[in-house]
Amino acid sequence: MERFIYIPVLFCYGTVALAHLLPSVVGKGITERARAIAGVGVAVHFVGLAVAVSWATGTTGFPEALSAAAFGVMGAYAAVSRERLASVGLLMAPLAVAMLGTSLVVPHREVAALATTPNSLWLPIHLGLMSVGLAGFALSSAVGVLYLIVRNRLKQKRLKDLRRLPSLEVLDRMQFRSMLFGFVFLTLGIGVGGAWAAVALEGTWAIDPKVLFTVVIWAWYAVALQVRVVAGWRGRLSALFSIVGFAGMIFSLVVMNFIVKGFHGYVG
Amino acid sequence: MATSASGPPLLAVGLNHRTAPVDVRERLALDADGVRRRLVELRRDGVMSEGFLLSTCNRVELYAVHEPGQRAVERWIETFRGPRGEPLQPYLYWLHGQDAVRHLFQVTSSLDSMVVGEPQILGQVKQAIRLAEEAGSLGRVMHRLTERSLSVAKRVRSETDIGQSTVGVGNAGVELALQIFGDLNGRRALLLGTGEMGQQVAKALLNSGLEELLVANRTYERAVELAEQTGGTPIRFERVEEYLARVDIVVGATGAPQHVLTADMVKRTMRARWYRSLFLVDLSVPRNIDPDIENIEQAFLFNVDDLREVVQAGMAAREQAARAAHALVDEEAERFVGRLVEIESGPRIGGVVRAAEQLRLAELERSAKLVESLSDAQRKQLDAMTRALVKKVLHQPLSAAREAARKGDQVALQTILSALEDET
Repeated sequence: MERFIYIPVLFCYGTVALAHLLPSVVGKGITERARAIAGVGVAVHFVGLAVAVSWATGTTGFPEALSAAAFGVMGAYAAVSRERLASVGLLMAPLAVAMLGTSLVVPHREVAALATTPNSLWLPIHLGLMSVGLAGFALSSAVGVLYLIVRNRLKQKRLKDLRRLPSLEVLDRMQFRSMLFGFVFLTLGIGVGGAWAAVALEGTWAIDPKVLFTVVIWAWYAVALQVRVVAGWRGRLSALFSIVGFAGMIFSLVVMNFIVKGFHGYVG
Repeated sequence: MATSASGPPLLAVGLNHRTAPVDVRERLALDADGVRRRLVELRRDGVMSEGFLLSTCNRVELYAVHEPGQRAVERWIETFRGPRGEPLQPYLYWLHGQDAVRHLFQVTSSLDSMVVGEPQILGQVKQAIRLAEEAGSLGRVMHRLTERSLSVAKRVRSETDIGQSTVGVGNAGVELALQIFGDLNGRRALLLGTGEMGQQVAKALLNSGLEELLVANRTYERAVELAEQTGGTPIRFERVEEYLARVDIVVGATGAPQHVLTADMVKRTMRARWYRSLFLVDLSVPRNIDPDIENIEQAFLFNVDDLREVVQAGMAAREQAARAAHALVDEEAERFVGRLVEIESGPRIGGVVRAAEQLRLAELERSAKLVESLSDAQRKQLDAMTRALVKKVLHQPLSAAREAARKGDQVALQTILSALEDET
């Protein structure tokens, strides 16, 4: 029943998404306040998540994971969406709407492991770190897409209205920093998850497909950061690394959970 | 010059960068004290009932409600002379009523500025308003007018793209540089050759916060000369490749018939540059910078045609924005004057209504005998009937008068009101 709290949140995120996708239809009053609207949504969303994870013991599952991811994405948007950088909302707000919307309609599925493990403080910490990490990667890939757009337009001399988008340098820096930010939290999230599993599952977890896939993604980002710092793979290459990595994360979050029947998957 | 009998006689008189040369403008320019003193004098001597003075390096203007007449203002202005003792009349523009309002709105919105869209003028108008308030020379009308002009300027700024477009090759270069680098703090540029457009771009970059400008030329002496003029550092032409690793921007403007910067040269320096973006502008024809450089991922090369496109897009955008801004200002000026006239003519309309009521009562009085013979109910009926009759008769001319007042149609308003006043 606590899902009702997400309706106004979805409304806020949807408004922000529309403000970016169809600014002329939505009108100036709303587009100028998109960041504040996102902030309100994120605040309410936080309350909803806190309630879901702390009180509804033993019911945390796939919808909550998706919802937490949407929360992270919109939080990241609200944090950076100033002036020309607001254009990241073009990608992030619809993504958050899709994730939160899906989380509201999918049937509840519990995490397999949680069915046998008592709920504890491990869960919100693991979930929190992972969604903050995911938010960093979402921002990094959205900024990466913008980088590619600006870069292509500069290369092809399509210069009309280009000034509405951020500069290459700003995008490149933001892409790197948010990737680094995401990486730090992903590392912590994996660490907490691993420690929790070690305690609760006594060592049978390491061969779980989702865990393995997540470690692959972690390694991918580690390489992306490494080549950037030591070999100067910045700009387009770094943006592509980030976009591919985030696609992998979404794949892991959504698809892997259904295909693969590991302890980390969900049961119907 | 006919002044409207209804709305307050608004006047804008002054000269600006288009009507008067700088030696005339500088003679009339006033500092804050001067403005305050003049305003006090103008009111004391009965030249105007209220008003304010706007004095900037591009204009000196008096906005006034000139009661009793314009002659007083003319006599006041005759006391001033140009730098050669000549009268000022040929430099001046005199604007009345809605034209004066429109002019103030245009000035405040930076549509009348030398560089259209420049933001300083708004602050200067605000300062002028403050000085007038201090001198106590703003009355009912001028308060309204100055307040409205500030909000019109705000509307123009937020609803049109005025002040956001690029004009000139130099600015086009800066715009592209900013699109790549975000800002020019700590950035270095290398100017190759001494071509005119290259100099323009280099100067514009320096004005936008460029850290250092290096100047290279075939003849070193010429490089030294140009470096001195622009505040750059001269370097020897043979050492250009060496410096490539250190600069972020290259501006090519030599008269050389072949490429002076080749793709290989840039490729070789990319590692040393740690793959930072390199922005290249080639302003020479034939081109000096190898077009193949574009194939290097981090290099962004623009030639003369690309830049011209930016300039033209900027000019088109500016023209469009200016058209939109002028339309907005016209509409606001019309509405302002309409409101003003409506407020001013309100009492006269009220007078007509009151006179008609008196006429009705007088007519009833005249038929006192008839009225007395009626029953109470009938008397009430007669009263209501005469009231309705007067109202119906007045309805059309009065709404026409209100409409004329709103539109600022002085002639129609006067005709209708005078006719009604004669009748009643």
